[in-house]
Amino acid sequence: MNKLKLWFTQTMMISFAILTGIIIEGLVYSIFGRDDLASFSLSWLQLLSIVLTGALCSVPTVLFLTDTDIPRKKYIVRIAFHCLGLYLIVSLFGWIFRWFTNLGGFIMVTVIFFLVYVFVWTVSIWLYKRDDKKINMALDDIRDEE
Amino acid sequence: MRVHIEKVDSKDQEEAVIKAVEITDEISGAVELLEGDAKGFAVSQDGKTYILKASSVYYIESVDKKTFVYTRQGCYDTKYRLYELEVLLGGYFMRCSKSMIINLKKVRNVKSQISGRIDATLLNDEVVVISRGYAKEVKRRLGIG
Repeated sequence: MNKLKLWFTQTMMISFAILTGIIIEGLVYSIFGRDDLASFSLSWLQLLSIVLTGALCSVPTVLFLTDTDIPRKKYIVRIAFHCLGLYLIVSLFGWIFRWFTNLGGFIMVTVIFFLVYVFVWTVSIWLYKRDDKKINMALDDIRDEE
Repeated sequence: MRVHIEKVDSKDQEEAVIKAVEITDEISGAVELLEGDAKGFAVSQDGKTYILKASSVYYIESVDKKTFVYTRQGCYDTKYRLYELEVLLGGYFMRCSKSMIINLKKVRNVKSQISGRIDATLLNDEVVVISRGYAKEVKRRLGIG
């Protein structure tokens, strides 16, 4: 996959994830009676901020995580930079587009960010391990004897 | 042994089912033939030309527009291009990166790295890399995709 295509697909994925998060947040608020579901709406500025955040958050992925032929330790350092880069972008855009207005809101965004980041890596590693197990079992059936 | 041949519409649907009381040499030969292992192709080493059986190949690599074939015994070069060998050998021979074809029958195990690449340890203890983009094709070839 070339880098431009990766950047575009990442932008779409991250934008969709943020949008889903906002919808879930709206649903939770309506369930607990803090908001009326019928009054839930998104302005064009909010939608623009979502797409912009998605587009900018894709840049660290293209910069740090596309080279897979590097040692494990180096890759982990790159993941740390990736995480930090994403956090800075989310914090900056959150401040510009007023996703939070006080320290409590900022802490909430920070907690959600790190939970999502850890969740995504945990699921990815779990999927890789599941694939390995399936492939190794299938290889057992066809392997040449030497 | 009775043989039934049923016509199908596409290459993906092609398969052979053999019902036998025991696996005889003839049946093993037929399986090898169907899977393409019995195919041979010309390779050269130190100026001498050999016909190499597909079943002895571990992996094939393209470096600087030259194609090298690796077996337990050593490395050979061939005039075939990678894409030609991919078509010629078929079966469990598959592209694992832009510049390599791997024989899945020679893979001892695979292990995914955190970066997403898959390290495949071969029966001769060499480790080759399967790009994550080819993982889906590996599973399809193994009938688990």
